[in-house]
Amino acid sequence: MIPLQFYLIVAAILFCLGLFGALARRNAVAILMGIELMLNAVNINLVAFWRYVKPAAPTMDLAGQIFALFVVTLAAAEAAIGLALIIAIYRSRDTVNVEDVDLMKW
Amino acid sequence: MLISPELILAIFGMLVLVVDLIGRARTREWLPWVTVLGFVLAFAATLYIWGSNASIFAGMYSVDMFSLFFKLLATIAGTMIVLVSIDYLRGRTTRQGEFFSIFTFSILAMTMMASSASLLMIYLSIEFLSYTSYLLTGFLREDKKSNEAALKYFLYGAITSAVMLYGLSLLYGVSGSLNLTDIATAFANTVDPSVRTVALVAPALVLAGLGFKISLVPFHQWAPDAYEGAPTPVTAFLSVGPKAVGFAILLRVALTTLPIYQASWIPLLAVISIITMTLGNLVALRQTNIKRLLAYSSIAQAGYMLIGLVGVNLTGNSPFSGLNGVLIYLFAYLFTNLGAFICVIAIENATGAVNIADYAGLVRRAPFVAALFIIFFLSLAGIPPTAGFIGKFFVFGAALREGFLTLAAIGVINSIISVFYYFAVIRAAFFLDAKDPSPIRITPLVTAMLTVTAAMVLLIAVYPQPLFNLAAWSMGMFGVVK
Amino acid sequence: MSLLVFYLFAAIAVLAALGMVVLRNPVHSALSLALVFVSLAAMYVLLSAPFIAVAQVMIYAGAILILFVFVIMLLSPGTDQGVGALKAQRGLAILFGAALLVLLIAVLGGAVLPPTRGTFTPEAIAAEGDTQAVGALLFTNFLLPFEITSILLLVAIVGVIVLAKKRQSISKQ
Repeated sequence: MIPLQFYLIVAAILFCLGLFGALARRNAVAILMGIELMLNAVNINLVAFWRYVKPAAPTMDLAGQIFALFVVTLAAAEAAIGLALIIAIYRSRDTVNVEDVDLMKW
Repeated sequence: MLISPELILAIFGMLVLVVDLIGRARTREWLPWVTVLGFVLAFAATLYIWGSNASIFAGMYSVDMFSLFFKLLATIAGTMIVLVSIDYLRGRTTRQGEFFSIFTFSILAMTMMASSASLLMIYLSIEFLSYTSYLLTGFLREDKKSNEAALKYFLYGAITSAVMLYGLSLLYGVSGSLNLTDIATAFANTVDPSVRTVALVAPALVLAGLGFKISLVPFHQWAPDAYEGAPTPVTAFLSVGPKAVGFAILLRVALTTLPIYQASWIPLLAVISIITMTLGNLVALRQTNIKRLLAYSSIAQAGYMLIGLVGVNLTGNSPFSGLNGVLIYLFAYLFTNLGAFICVIAIENATGAVNIADYAGLVRRAPFVAALFIIFFLSLAGIPPTAGFIGKFFVFGAALREGFLTLAAIGVINSIISVFYYFAVIRAAFFLDAKDPSPIRITPLVTAMLTVTAAMVLLIAVYPQPLFNLAAWSMGMFGVVK
Repeated sequence: MSLLVFYLFAAIAVLAALGMVVLRNPVHSALSLALVFVSLAAMYVLLSAPFIAVAQVMIYAGAILILFVFVIMLLSPGTDQGVGALKAQRGLAILFGAALLVLLIAVLGGAVLPPTRGTFTPEAIAAEGDTQAVGALLFTNFLLPFEITSILLLVAIVGVIVLAKKRQSISKQ
């Protein structure tokens, strides 16, 4: 049996790598990928907690898995909206570099 | 029956899309009015289920007085913003149907945030409101500033919501449940020190997502750019809508799930409150664009509201429970800030100007708007006889009651600082000469909305008793904290 | 045995994630991200959640990532400068990520969480079927979030079309 902590630590590492990517990269598409990585890390947490933690009530039996499913769905919608915004920016100024998007001061 | 406001909003959101799709140009003129009808019906439905206190959908959705208060707030804000955006959108976009539909759904998301009592519903409704807000911010896609504002708003929002989600997963992990009340029980029953550590870290992560919605420092950086670039009616919406329901969730989580850790989150919130109001006010002093100025002002206002939560104490019968202060403040702020933004919209509709320098000589060009600016700014600064004073009175009073003297003092000092930048605008409007002295024509609809908001700001100040009752009813469902 | 499999996929996931963050070319980043997604799917299988594993591969690797690659191809390929040149921002990002990592591992590594499970043991899941169990709950207890998600996806579709549909009249500057 793999201890719960192993999963949680892998998730923490992925989450922090994703956060680093989202904060440090300049390409808007790459920032969005970092965000997707963070959401994936959360999903490991959710599914691992589902597997290892006793549900507080019978209605919460599969709560972790179902939450993870909603996170996947919303991640898809978020990616679509983010990429549409990036395309709109690219059409008007030929760049996806967030440092060049500076009509207003950051 | 209990979710009838939500059903009405969902149906009208889709109805607007359908009318837009099959209608001709003439019928499209009616789209904003269809939207308004939806909001009015949802408002009426909220009043119809007034007084209910039910937990539905396996405890995920809580239809209580607290949530109904915010549903009223959401539908009022929605109605006023649709009415002022009619003239604004004309000529700026041809896609009014999509705009009003997405806007209706964003009000739907607000009503759902107010009722969310489960981690899953909190996440879903926050994301729902965020997505609609990003889309509305970037709606004028031919406008470079609108694009840019939406992208920045989106990137900040997506990162903070991922951080919040991580915190939510930890809350699920330590309790084995998604329902806020179950989590509270799990916290109360555990003696395990490691669970207690997680219980301190997880809410801090959740605060990132909520702080983003409320625009608390250090999660506020998106606000000035998003406010400046977004279509101005959307800016008005962002400054009141997400902030109000962000507080709804913050209050619900803090008071139902985390009361036993009150000693540890109160100092954290006190520090955030001080930094938020001080930074917001100091940076606002340097602004030249009225939308950016109001952005920093609204950051500072979030800091004042947070004082109410720091000073929360629901024991006894004191009129200063902190919680009622936040609710009263939010209600007063709704009309005040919307009013200030409608002034901005009135000027922008006629001249396109959004810089404070362009307001020179406004008293001659549009005396009505200039006069109302004074009322709204007095209210934002918290000077009687205005609604803002009542709000500040109750949040500062709660802080004093709980012995947070320094916090209250810093709040008062900040209110004084804020007078300087509000009156910089007034000074330009009243004492400087206009470059172009031609009168500004204000459309009747905007004039009507200005009258309504100004009347409410003054009415709350002279006859506040109904609002006190409303706040007292709304907080009845929270148990005794402290 | 399962521990060995876990180590293998954990190592792949972490290395690929590292690659995603530091590789300069966005296409390479996207491919590393695909590797992360697939190895996470393997972890879900280890956690006896096969439905999530399949959804992970189909939605993340199949749909979201393809969308990313399309957009990268559509917009200027190969113009990325990798991790930011702004030294201060990169430093802050490292500090932020590292501090949070230390904190999380300190908190989670020590947490002794109860290892007991509810009625949905892996055996019960295998008997009923993960997909059936999740599906049944989605249409009963979790009906409200399910319906909300459908509205949310509608809004996302409408909004994305408004934002990204090609302009008819206005030419690109």
